[in-house]
Amino acid sequence: MRDRDLTSADVAEFASPRELMEAEWAPCRYHCPVHADVRGYIELAARGQFEAAANLVRDCLPFASVCGRICHHPCEANCRRCEVDQAVAVREVKRFVCELTGVRAAVHKADKQDLAKVAIVGAGPAGMAAALELARIGYRPTVFEKFPVAGGIPATAIPSYRLPRDVIRQDTDWIFAHGVDFVPNCDIGKDKTIADLEAEGFEAVLIATGLADSRMLPLPGADHKRVLPVLTFLTDVSFDRTPDVGANVLVIGGGNVAMDAARTARRLGAQVTAMCLENEEEMPAWDWERDEADEEGVTFLFRRGPVEVLLDGDKIVGMKTRKVTRVFDGEGKFSPEYDDNDLQNIPCDTVIMAIGQTANLNFIEGSDLTADDRGRLTYDSATHQTSLPEVFACGEIVTAPGSAVEACASGQRAAKAIDLYLSGRTIQIDDALPPTIDKIAPATAEKVLKVERYGVDTEQPEMRITTFDEIDHNYDPEIAVREARRCMSCGGGAEVLVDKCAACLTCLRVCPFDIPVVTDVARIESSLCQACGMCIADCPANAIIARSWSPEEDLRQVAAKINALTGERKIVAYVCGHHSPATAWGGTLEDTIPGVVEEYLPSMSRLSAAEILHTLEAGATGVIVVACNEGADRYPTAPLRAAKRVEQVRELLDEIGLGAERVQYVAVADRGRAATREAMAEAADRIEGKVQESVESE
Amino acid sequence: MSNEPVSNLQRDLDSGEFVVTAEIGPPKGTNIAPVIHEAEEFLKGKVSAVNVTDIQTAVMRGSSMVGAKLLFDAGIEPVLQMVTRDRNRLALQSDLLAAHIFGIRNVLCLTGDHVTMGDHPQAMPVYDLDSVSLLDAMCKLEAGTDLGADMKGKANELDGVPTFFKGCCVTPCADEVDPQVIKLEKKVEAGAQFVQTQAVYEPKVFETFMKKVEHIKVPILVGIVMLKTAGMAKYMNRGVPGVVVPDAIIQRMTDCEKPDREKVSIEICGELVSTMKDMCQGAHLMTLGWDHCVPGIIQAAGLA
Amino acid sequence: MIVAERKPMDEIFQMLAGCKKVLVLGCGGCVTVCLTGGERQAEMLASQLNLAAKAKGEAMQVDFDSITRQCEKEFFDNLSEAPADYDAVLSIACGAGVGYMSEQFPKVTVLPGMNTTHLAANVALGIWEEYCRGCGDCMLAWTGGVCPIAKCSKSLVNGTCGGTDKGKCEVNPEMNCGWLMIYERLKELDRLDEYRTMRPLRDHRTDRGNGVRRLVLAEMTEEEAGDE
Repeated sequence: MRDRDLTSADVAEFASPRELMEAEWAPCRYHCPVHADVRGYIELAARGQFEAAANLVRDCLPFASVCGRICHHPCEANCRRCEVDQAVAVREVKRFVCELTGVRAAVHKADKQDLAKVAIVGAGPAGMAAALELARIGYRPTVFEKFPVAGGIPATAIPSYRLPRDVIRQDTDWIFAHGVDFVPNCDIGKDKTIADLEAEGFEAVLIATGLADSRMLPLPGADHKRVLPVLTFLTDVSFDRTPDVGANVLVIGGGNVAMDAARTARRLGAQVTAMCLENEEEMPAWDWERDEADEEGVTFLFRRGPVEVLLDGDKIVGMKTRKVTRVFDGEGKFSPEYDDNDLQNIPCDTVIMAIGQTANLNFIEGSDLTADDRGRLTYDSATHQTSLPEVFACGEIVTAPGSAVEACASGQRAAKAIDLYLSGRTIQIDDALPPTIDKIAPATAEKVLKVERYGVDTEQPEMRITTFDEIDHNYDPEIAVREARRCMSCGGGAEVLVDKCAACLTCLRVCPFDIPVVTDVARIESSLCQACGMCIADCPANAIIARSWSPEEDLRQVAAKINALTGERKIVAYVCGHHSPATAWGGTLEDTIPGVVEEYLPSMSRLSAAEILHTLEAGATGVIVVACNEGADRYPTAPLRAAKRVEQVRELLDEIGLGAERVQYVAVADRGRAATREAMAEAADRIEGKVQESVESE
Repeated sequence: MSNEPVSNLQRDLDSGEFVVTAEIGPPKGTNIAPVIHEAEEFLKGKVSAVNVTDIQTAVMRGSSMVGAKLLFDAGIEPVLQMVTRDRNRLALQSDLLAAHIFGIRNVLCLTGDHVTMGDHPQAMPVYDLDSVSLLDAMCKLEAGTDLGADMKGKANELDGVPTFFKGCCVTPCADEVDPQVIKLEKKVEAGAQFVQTQAVYEPKVFETFMKKVEHIKVPILVGIVMLKTAGMAKYMNRGVPGVVVPDAIIQRMTDCEKPDREKVSIEICGELVSTMKDMCQGAHLMTLGWDHCVPGIIQAAGLA
Repeated sequence: MIVAERKPMDEIFQMLAGCKKVLVLGCGGCVTVCLTGGERQAEMLASQLNLAAKAKGEAMQVDFDSITRQCEKEFFDNLSEAPADYDAVLSIACGAGVGYMSEQFPKVTVLPGMNTTHLAANVALGIWEEYCRGCGDCMLAWTGGVCPIAKCSKSLVNGTCGGTDKGKCEVNPEMNCGWLMIYERLKELDRLDEYRTMRPLRDHRTDRGNGVRRLVLAEMTEEEAGDE
């Protein structure tokens, strides 16, 4: 909830009504590491405005396409819809819009890039995100990458059945298009030193090399050439240097990278056993990743620890293992204990070590950079600065291991630090966020229309292991739209202007969710508001505004569309868009009715009687209100209220001799496009007196 | 106040005999002579007094005052009905003085149907007084003062003091009878000396009512409204508050041939009076223009 | 609260005949609460008038505004436009607002857009029922909290009339009999003696019989103490 009341004077001072949205964030945005406007882009997708949605994603998220595939999506984990049914499939919708838009995503280059040159070491998500931010500000970033391609781990180690390579290129090419230079095959510390970079005129250097080396275990026999570090294995597969994994692979590790390795080895034709210290519940891999590995025929061995690589001559024949009695101590710290009496030999001919990654500090060579006694780069997390003030670091090399989106966030923050440094200011970054909205209250959740989450199709496991093709299918446009429409627009709802509120209680009485509380004035708890707009439409004092839309702005757009009509007929159909096809909201319908502007709203709940009148004032010859049937509308009572408002407007028109028939109400929007179109065409004829109005049964 | 009766009606009621009254209504227009003639022909000498309705059901017509005056002149004792709907306390007191001057002594105080029930629904409903305060006002006039007072709070004195026999109404068959009883108590406390009831068709209910008002020591004349058709009976059930015509009576009206209706209606009224005459002190026959039936009813009731 | 409802459109058209520039002025007080005279209703009435003018081919410009209360002079300072710039101000406040505004702006034609009807409580969404008639002599203490002046269609003070039937009033079968409500309430409160007591004649001077009524709080007036 806002910390203070809002008045009409406050609103008058806002540069944009969107400022209201900034006062409080929906949890999807709050918990997104880069704070993408999730609600915003999901709403655009819900309206079929896919390109606008993709652009909004990219405003904050450089690796939009990549994250559309592999993001760990904290937005979904924190989605308030979880309390209703299931989270909105944000990642799948994002994937859909980004894929559809592809490389056409808008590029807004800085007017001039005349600020300092900045060298970025590592073209992974962190480095590339930083490069993009710096380029947008006007710096000239160059990214140095030891591999031939940009993208970091996603491009070099994440298997292509999860993340096709062209998807990564969509993101990296788009970033480069902002004026980011790229130097591939350049391993800093080996091919060039940091000192070299500074000598070349780079005024700042950002280390974003990530965790490039695989962690190994000092087991007897572990130096065998068929004991493969996981990153080496995955990178080799990525670059088509397909390694010989033999017939029987043992993957050590229970994390997501281990799962990638196991599933990749399956695709290379091997039998695969994945062994980890943890049990099924404890293992760190995502459930879905473990399940898919299981489906693909990976055998799991839980709670066993490796002891010794068993050799027969120069061949690996197995792994000696022991039972794990515990993994974590009472405080939850990693502290495994073993039962050395429970030993078991697991036959295998290849071992992949996937127990974690570690930083490679080779770039320190030839520089004055220092590492601490544990071998970690000296670094100040507040300023991103290393032991050299002009050398910064970001991403996994200095943070805990994380996901691509977290690396992006770190890179963006580092870019801010570099900008402050290079512009001679103190590096002080305000990490404060607006408050987030609480979980939805059970009583409210109960009233929200339940809509099952739309899943994506996944290839059959037996097909999957024969290829490195992507296994998850994309949504089709209709499903993407339907899934996006599950979003509850958290935080986009009502705000009371206390100076205008007369405490009349109308909001409290019309709210389908019983949210408003009226004491001296009405107060509408944003965490509970469902953004249906019912109270806004019915407030007699014009004292309630919406955070995420403005009736005035909507009307301006409608007026423009009316003006664009050339014939005699200028009818506006306000259509409940909750069940409408994507082409409807997106404005690409092919079967529009001549002279009828179709204007889509999430529900008729927000359409006020005044707006209907204003639409006529704007030049419409008639208005058709196309509602859903009760029960199909996303908001309870919306069709009833809409019908009542139409009845009111009809009376008002009748009074001034304009004819009630100018405004028509039909409840059909949930019955499909054909029925909706037919009903609108008929209503348009009724408006023009071509068809007699049937006697109202009400 | 002396106990001498001020009217024949009072004297008849005092005597303990079963008293019958009837009712006429002035017409909408000036042609009042036929009404008076009928009263002379059918009511004179048959009943103790004849009520004259006061703009009944709020449908504009000649005043009850003129009807009462003409009856008086024709040698028939009138009961002047006065409703509080149309006149404020000045006009009501003034008319009470006029009534006395005209020789009218019996006055029945009523609140009166609401103006919206009648043919001038836009008219101002006055109700400055109600039936209780009108009775009270009459007592004050009889005591020589009016409702007003001078600057010192001393009541205004009258030059010539009227006397009245003051009546009121009650609805014995109202679905909620207790508030009616309390109101009746208030009316009697305010000076009511006789009661003419709303129409009664249910002797049993009336009997119960009479038990409830045993403590009220004023004569009660049971109201009988003549049913002209079955349709009228049904209308009364639907539209007249506190009046219930039992199905059996409606059936009798339905079953009879048209030429027999009047006869059956007279029979019904006669039976009702006959059944209830031991429960009360008289009957008030409201024939709604069928004055000629009054003798028949009296006969049918075994009172002749 | 004071309830007012919009006048018939024909009457409004008649009042505004010949006006070229009109301000519809809402009031943020009672009439906002009863959903008939707030800013939204001003907006809609202006919209209606603009549509009507356009349809008739008349050049009339109708703006709307709303202030906190039209029965207080200070709030007129918050008007966005000077009333004098308009041919007429169509006020949709209650009669007090219209009359007071008219007095404050002697050169401005202030017209009533509403008929002020009654003092009400909001008994259900969209329903405002009369509870008080401002008679100036409150007798709720003796009537179980049910006002006989407001709730009895005849404003009787001594009990039910003969027009009560099954709890309803003869005037309208939808309307409860006020006196039956009083009776039930007094019975419930075990105070039926209040019903039995004869009420004194009403003094209509407190109502409307004594000219313009005004409340004067000496402690708040600007006149010096002891002036009166």
